[in-house]
Amino acid sequence: MNIVGVAACTSGIAHTYIAREKILTAAQALGWTAHIETQGTIGTENELTAEQISQSDFVLLAVDIKIGGTERFSGKKVVEIDTNTAIKSPTKVLQAIAANLNK
Amino acid sequence: MTVTPPLDMTAVIHPELIALDIAAQTKHEAIHEISHLLFREGYVTDPGAFAADVEARELEGPTGLGQGVAIPHGKSPAVTRTTLAIATVANPLAWESLDDELISIIILFAVRDDDAETVHIRLLQKVAVLLAHDEFIASLHTAKTAEEIANLFTRTA
Repeated sequence: MNIVGVAACTSGIAHTYIAREKILTAAQALGWTAHIETQGTIGTENELTAEQISQSDFVLLAVDIKIGGTERFSGKKVVEIDTNTAIKSPTKVLQAIAANLNK
Repeated sequence: MTVTPPLDMTAVIHPELIALDIAAQTKHEAIHEISHLLFREGYVTDPGAFAADVEARELEGPTGLGQGVAIPHGKSPAVTRTTLAIATVANPLAWESLDDELISIIILFAVRDDDAETVHIRLLQKVAVLLAHDEFIASLHTAKTAEEIANLFTRTA
């Protein structure tokens, strides 16, 4: 699998970055490629490229707030969860989405 | 050519802001006790106002990460220097957490209300990344002294 995503929490200080790291670590353990953008208190980092988005199998939004730039994902399968779900069970989330894609 | 200075974790990890075995019996008491520590050490101008901002954030969703660690945070005008304060509690506390377990380590993020402190925010991000790893959490639980706790953060900088 090849995924892209965005992480963003209410204060943009901690959960955003924990969620990103959890998703990246879980994806790596599954042998997937993952690129996760953060929209935090100091702005957007690790901004997704058009190429990363177009090559992805799905888009994972781990967000607690309304984020910017969702028009970039039109035509892609987008799954939205909150940051705490990404932090609590990242592997389970990724596997469940992948299982649904193949149905 | 722009040279980015290396991020030095000691800018946000201060041994005087690490308190072991605090006596707080509730989440509310713990937040206030740590807020007063930040005030005494000169990082917060008004501990009551800061604690209120931290508790307001608590209402927006759980800050217990699971594995006994909570990361309350306040972005507050009462903060003069963005920093972390860390406390271990003598008696584990009830705290909204992703695994519904009690909390024994509190890592409080005190963040200035303006966005000028970009370097400090980046350091807090690095701390957040550390906290995403089970091994790091396990080593936090085995640390016995404030110095050992500080070293866990600074050695990875």
